[in-house]
Amino acid sequence: MRVQLFATCLVDTFYPQTGEAMVKLLRHFGVDARTPRGQTCCGKPADSGGYVRESREAARHFLSVFGANGDPIVTPSGSCASMVKNHYPHLFKNDPGLRQKAEDVGSRIFELTQFLVHVCKAHETGFKGKGRITYHASCQLIRELLVREEPVMLLRSMQGVEFVPMPDAERCCGFGGIFMGKQPEISMAMADEKLDSILRTGADTVTGCDHGCLMNIADAVKRRGADVRVTHIAAVLAEGLP
Amino acid sequence: MTPTVAPIDFRSNAAAAVQDSLLRAALRNATDTFAAKRAQAAACVPLEELREAASGIRSEVLGNLSSYLDRFIERASRAGAQVHRAADSAAARETIFSILKQHRVDKVVKAKSMVSEEIHLNDYLIANGIRVVETDLGEYIIQLASEQPSHIIVPAIHKDRRQVGRLFAEKLSCEYSEDPAQLTKVAQQTLRREFLSAAAGISGANFAVAESGSVVLFTNEGNGRMCTTLPRLHIVVLSIEKIIPSLADLPTFIRLLPRSATGQAITSYLSVITGPRKLGDRTGAEELHIVFVDNGRSSIVAGEYRDMLKCIRCGACLNACPVYRTVGGHVYGATYPGPMGIILSVLLEGMAKAHPLLDATTLCGACGEVCPVKVPLPDLLRRLRERRVEEGFTPAIERAGIAAFGRAASLGGLFTLGRSMARVLWPLMEKLIDPQTLGRLPKPAERSFQRRVR
Amino acid sequence: MTRDETIDRFLENVAAVAAETARVRGRAGVDRMIADLIGGDSVVYCPRLTELERSIALPEDRVTDDYTSASVCVEEVFAGIAETGSLVSTSAGGRAVQGGLVPQHHIALIATDRIVETLDHFFSQWGDGPPTNITLETGPSRTADIELTLTIGVHGPGRLSVIAVEE
Repeated sequence: MRVQLFATCLVDTFYPQTGEAMVKLLRHFGVDARTPRGQTCCGKPADSGGYVRESREAARHFLSVFGANGDPIVTPSGSCASMVKNHYPHLFKNDPGLRQKAEDVGSRIFELTQFLVHVCKAHETGFKGKGRITYHASCQLIRELLVREEPVMLLRSMQGVEFVPMPDAERCCGFGGIFMGKQPEISMAMADEKLDSILRTGADTVTGCDHGCLMNIADAVKRRGADVRVTHIAAVLAEGLP
Repeated sequence: MTPTVAPIDFRSNAAAAVQDSLLRAALRNATDTFAAKRAQAAACVPLEELREAASGIRSEVLGNLSSYLDRFIERASRAGAQVHRAADSAAARETIFSILKQHRVDKVVKAKSMVSEEIHLNDYLIANGIRVVETDLGEYIIQLASEQPSHIIVPAIHKDRRQVGRLFAEKLSCEYSEDPAQLTKVAQQTLRREFLSAAAGISGANFAVAESGSVVLFTNEGNGRMCTTLPRLHIVVLSIEKIIPSLADLPTFIRLLPRSATGQAITSYLSVITGPRKLGDRTGAEELHIVFVDNGRSSIVAGEYRDMLKCIRCGACLNACPVYRTVGGHVYGATYPGPMGIILSVLLEGMAKAHPLLDATTLCGACGEVCPVKVPLPDLLRRLRERRVEEGFTPAIERAGIAAFGRAASLGGLFTLGRSMARVLWPLMEKLIDPQTLGRLPKPAERSFQRRVR
Repeated sequence: MTRDETIDRFLENVAAVAAETARVRGRAGVDRMIADLIGGDSVVYCPRLTELERSIALPEDRVTDDYTSASVCVEEVFAGIAETGSLVSTSAGGRAVQGGLVPQHHIALIATDRIVETLDHFFSQWGDGPPTNITLETGPSRTADIELTLTIGVHGPGRLSVIAVEE
């Protein structure tokens, strides 16, 4: 099976190791993950800021890159997957051609854990690992893509790992894209409260499916000097491949 | 020349609130308690079915609001009520004041009403020599402290028992106590005298029923019943969108409103008032006036934000909002706080004044999940952000940054975003983003993912 | 739901909102129960509008027509709603609905055949002609305005006793 990998701008720019972990994971399940050249950003930052023109530019580009063939698209971000699936059709509501294309591409995009569970049955694999892990449920992943169970199923399936549910796991961490820059005081206070929830679990690792949130949480960890590893679920799983 | 309006300084307000540890603790306690109670109460009913039904009823009314209003006015008048329509806050205040003046009223007892806050009624009446006594305990506390409500259901949510104790000791010359039961008793005794001697009561209404011309009030303390049955004169002030078609629709809202607001299956009291006291009656005011406030709602209902007017003011979106939880209601600098408040404030008070509130959301979507009438809150917030950009209310520096981002994002053929981030966007971001936020971001990787997989 | 199930559900839900409940067969037991409930020094308001209200034996020297000076209100209510455990009073027949609000203790008698299953059963009967005032009373008066700490008894009664009377 062949898929197109959409790395996202955060992974491409800041966290290339997450992209590599993803390739490794998919390869393990016999999936040929190609990374289409010329891919950039889905346009989410502009979209949530209300900048329709710029998000349309990004979306048009995304559709030309990923609409070139009919392969499924896999991305390590609930927020970017939802942008493509749920917001693109709205962006092109007055352009039937692009709207059709957006709906087609949107129907083929998977967030990583969604793909791993539903297509690869990865939760039946027997990942290995160690320590206590907790999980932050990112907002667009759960409320727009409706992916609630999949990451937890994968983490619970890991042998040697103690999965500890986080209190208020579904409460926003305060990232919110441009929110982080426009309301830094609230953003940091929210991230600090998220960190309190993380520390209450006694976990040594916190993971999630969106680097935006993880970046914000990592900053809270750094500011407090807390002893918690913050890492994307792709890395946690790739390290635990049997 | 149009007068310039100062925008609400949400960020500074919020920055101060974040540092207030007493406030933060009170908010955590309140929002946690409410969320847990709401979830528990919601589990006892077919919630999705009810939300769908309620949303349908509200949409039906808003789609035909003027005919429902006409019917309400006809039926309420037939039942003996005097109905007034006020185009804006000033007209509403003047209407109410003139009724009171006509009756030579010098004191009114008032039950909680958010629309009376919206039209700044109390200040106006007080300035015109009328004593106004708020009788809901939370509102009474706020009035004694000369503050504004910080929550639409629990106005004094930002105060702890010690602050209330000190306030009562100072203003009511009673002994200091921090026992809520004792404080409640003090307020009850003080207010009982006011109820029995007041010539007029002012209340809001949760719903107005078109078919019967009735107004419906949900209360817990009993003050609402006192204000609407003891004084000779009763004035109801409400906004025009509060209509439901008939009493047969009320059960749906009884099942949703208290559950969403406080986690109760029903409030202690629910009153359906139809006209003033009639021949042979021993209940009801001798004269009932109903004042409908428009304040721009007629045009909202005709436009693309109509769904906002489905709102039944339960406060569930405030309790679910992580930003509200962190900063409380005062920082919004408007009558209505929280997610519904951001939207209503922009619509009612204008983009020029309220646009900073559009940054008071992470668009996390938690509000949309709890809304009992399915107002698409996250979607409305996003659309208003789009309108803010169209109307030019975002900072120039942000517009320049996003424009550069748009160019970079659509230039993938020439260089990947990873490289354009490092070469083009990052230096720009370093100039645009404040140092504090920049310090919270990691540095770009030496080699982007796309260069690594090449 | 059978009649008995409806009555049971009603009383369960009344009890769940911090009110006292009792169920009596015939009127014989009502007087004693009320005598026990009102105690020795209460001033009692009873509107005497229904047959049941007129049949209750009350300490005549402590009965008043003025509910604002009473400490107890004894009255028969118009209906009960099992779904929510609500009592309903209406202004019909010259009743002062606020008579059950002002005194500190409300003793409500309800004929079991006046108990309906759901809110829909109750609210579908009025059409465009409800009486001046319909009030649903569910449990005693309460507030949680200070730190969300539940306090019973604010402006309305702090004590609510419900006696379901089966003829």
